Amino acid sequence: MDPFIHWVRSSAASNWVNSTVWIWPLCETLHFIGLSLVIGIVGFFDLRLMGFFRRVSIGAARELMPLALAGFLLNLSTGLVFLIGLPEQYMHNSAWWTKVGFLVLAGLNALFYETTLARRLTAMAEGADTPAAAKLIGALSLFSWFGVLYWGRMLPFIGNAF
Amino acid sequence: MFAWLEGTALATWTRESPSIWAYPTILTLHTIGLGIVVGANAVVDFRLLGFGKRIPLSSLLPLFRITWWAFALNAATGVLLFMSDATTKSAQVVFYIKLSLIAVALVTMIATRRMVDSREPTLPSRARTVAVLSLLLWAGAITAGRLMAYL
Repeated sequence: MDPFIHWVRSSAASNWVNSTVWIWPLCETLHFIGLSLVIGIVGFFDLRLMGFFRRVSIGAARELMPLALAGFLLNLSTGLVFLIGLPEQYMHNSAWWTKVGFLVLAGLNALFYETTLARRLTAMAEGADTPAAAKLIGALSLFSWFGVLYWGRMLPFIGNAF
Repeated sequence: MFAWLEGTALATWTRESPSIWAYPTILTLHTIGLGIVVGANAVVDFRLLGFGKRIPLSSLLPLFRITWWAFALNAATGVLLFMSDATTKSAQVVFYIKLSLIAVALVTMIATRRMVDSREPTLPSRARTVAVLSLLLWAGAITAGRLMAYL
């Protein structure tokens, strides 16, 4: 066991997660609710970026984004509970690192959108088609979030932990 | 009957095949479908609650088609997951709670679809109640589903 995992494992927080029976199922349930929010809200925005739901302006679709952020923060915090509880099952698991990779991809893609196209597209009127770059960003976002979901759910089956 | 179901070739394959395409993929498809069904419903429900007010309600109508396809995926994968462990799952109270919550959630979904499809300029006063109920029912169905692995 490497020192970092050993350090996490011997912490009071890790001990609390592992000795409290309801914490794991509770966090799993919240993790599933959070993932639904992210898939639903971000997915809707992505489809609009790709040119669907044109009667909705990008600016209007964007107004739902705080809900997606709430879902993401819920999953970040419940995910941290899992990681603190059983760090060795994640950090030694290639499926988990693949999931983290998809998360980074989704994050960088969103950051790229925010720093390049966001301002112009948010001001765009409803009914307008989106430029090809926006369609690509939307598709990549959809792909990366489903990737996060896929590798998260496949974690017990593909990786080498558990 | 549940023992027979569990013994069928399809149930045995789902449960025992070492293939990644058996149990792991079926379970993952069930989770992907869950995300789409609950997520798309949440978009409609939060819009009814006043989030994203600039989104024209009727523009959300095509979302329901996506939701129904995802629901069909989950009904199919759900049947397979149930078959693979029928004797245990059929004896779980929480399984029937999950099915009941989904049944009532579908009723609220039909109600929200009607509101989205309506030509009335104003929402009926029950819109918020239905939206909150829908969010709680889907969250409840997720909770019951998750608890099936623990109880």
